[in-house]
Amino acid sequence: MRVVVAEDLYLLRDGIVRLLEAYDHEVVATAATGPETFEALIGHRPDVAVVDVRMPPTNTDEGLTAALRAREQIAGLPVLVLSQHVEQLYARELLADQAGGVGYLLKDSVFDADQFIEALERVAGGGTALDPAVVTRLLGRPATASRLARLTGRERSILALMAEGLSNAAIAGRLFLSEGTISKYTTTMFDKLGLRDDDNANRRVLAVLAYLDDTRG
Amino acid sequence: MRHTDAWLRSTGRGLVRSTVLAALAWGVLAVSLVPASVAAVSGSPWSWANPWSWIGLLLFLIPLALVLARPIGMLSRRLAARWLGVTIEDGYRRPEDAPQPVLLSTGYWWNGHSYERSRRDAELDQQWRRRIGDPAYWRDVRWLLVAAVTLGPLCAVPAAALVGAVAAFTRGTPVAVLGGVLLTAVSAASAPSAWRLLGPLGQRWLRLPAGAAAAERVRELELERAEMSTTQAAELRRIERDLHDGAQARLVAVGLSLAAAERLLEADPVKARALLQEARRGTSSSLAELRELVRGVHPPVLVERGVVEAVRALALDSPLDVRVEAPDRLRLDGPVEAALYFGVAELLANVAKHAPAARVQVRIRDRGTEVEVDVEDDGPGGARVVPGGGLDGIRRRLGAFDGSLAVSSPLGGPTTSRMVVPCASS
Repeated sequence: MRVVVAEDLYLLRDGIVRLLEAYDHEVVATAATGPETFEALIGHRPDVAVVDVRMPPTNTDEGLTAALRAREQIAGLPVLVLSQHVEQLYARELLADQAGGVGYLLKDSVFDADQFIEALERVAGGGTALDPAVVTRLLGRPATASRLARLTGRERSILALMAEGLSNAAIAGRLFLSEGTISKYTTTMFDKLGLRDDDNANRRVLAVLAYLDDTRG
Repeated sequence: MRHTDAWLRSTGRGLVRSTVLAALAWGVLAVSLVPASVAAVSGSPWSWANPWSWIGLLLFLIPLALVLARPIGMLSRRLAARWLGVTIEDGYRRPEDAPQPVLLSTGYWWNGHSYERSRRDAELDQQWRRRIGDPAYWRDVRWLLVAAVTLGPLCAVPAAALVGAVAAFTRGTPVAVLGGVLLTAVSAASAPSAWRLLGPLGQRWLRLPAGAAAAERVRELELERAEMSTTQAAELRRIERDLHDGAQARLVAVGLSLAAAERLLEADPVKARALLQEARRGTSSSLAELRELVRGVHPPVLVERGVVEAVRALALDSPLDVRVEAPDRLRLDGPVEAALYFGVAELLANVAKHAPAARVQVRIRDRGTEVEVDVEDDGPGGARVVPGGGLDGIRRRLGAFDGSLAVSSPLGGPTTSRMVVPCASS
């Protein structure tokens, strides 16, 4: 894959580049500021971009803003956003255009190289990869609690993994169940929640999140 | 008939009130005269003829005056309010304004003024500083002197004249009877008005002087500074402890694991691998801890997005049903934003604790010269600002920016907390 890496801290940027190269991905450009990131995203149109939220010159949410602006111009441009902290607020902004190809993970996630690359590939393929911390908070909403209460514990843990962006096969792998069992669970679950079942992992995530958003307030 | 009745009542009432005030004004002097008089009668070296022995009198008088000044001042103000409807600001320094002492890492307690060995010492020191340094207290002492020479003699007139009249009547000679009649007239004429002197005298001598407002303001600011220094000291101590017991300790463990893994790399690769994994888990958990710590010191969203978005993020993360109504772009000075943010966080945490099912409405309004943040919930109400409590903490924190916190929380709800901070938004 052709990847753009936008990260202002040299050590981390270098580490991510080396990691990607170790997995045979090509880093086509690196960026260390917000404007540079935007230019690299538009100019190179990478298969996927790894973008840090906080970057110079303002050291606020420059990276996130650049990614969102680039996605306005190129719909569905796959972006994996990394940050030292995860906020539901940002997750919602990234998911708002419903175009998919969005990841939002803590920087620690690079510690597990296999999972990180897997998430990156999922995002590149138009899927989603959300940090479990965000998902827990999203599912922890009070307004949704009553509806989520209809789900069994097992169903809820499947929903959480689904919201992270995992496919049925991946969920089956994580929970040591067969894929068939998972798809049975998802069917009853979507029935209970009144959502349309769909095999496309990305659309499922968006359905779940749209559902959670709907029940807000 | 009705006239006579009213006149009698006002004279009687005046007589009682004047006598009470005379007793109030002369009480300290009278009480401290007792031992001296006893001594004079029983023939000790104390005598009126020997001015040196007056020192004995002063030994009683001065401590008694210093101890009773405040109660007498308070009583005088209360009587003025009750009898004359005259409210006189006491201007006392309030104990709740003083900062809470904090334990420093040196083991000493800092109360904003001095270091003490124990919390009790720190509080006592603070209390004495407050009492002795309070100009309102010295006003009360002055009032004792003023009252003794003005209010005392004048208010004693009705009672003294009456006593004189009774004495004269008992003597019975025509001249004495005439004198008695005159004294009765004096007593009756002065009784209704003598006690009213408390009003003008109290207002002149017991009230905050005009310049005192500015002086008090300076003192308030000094207190706030002391306050800030103690909260900062407490905060730094917390951060130091968190780093020391948390991330630092974990990183040491990570280092140890790595060192051990390095040694075992060739001899026992399986064990080395396990150690490396352990080291990785260690860095993950130190990162998580640092993240929490940073969130508590200065939440990243606040830096990245400003107070409005940070409050929105807070609302999203809250277990409560929170709605936020706010202008889109509102940036304030960093410290003010932090104070408001932590205020909202504390208020939401309070609601979550006491009324977990409540719906909450947060309203942020930019009034040009000040920013107003309302947090309203439909919980059971009954919230109070307790010194040293969470709401008090918000009040103190906002106080540093001349801001304020008002809490309205009738039993049965709803509870509305309003934070106001003056500022020019940028």
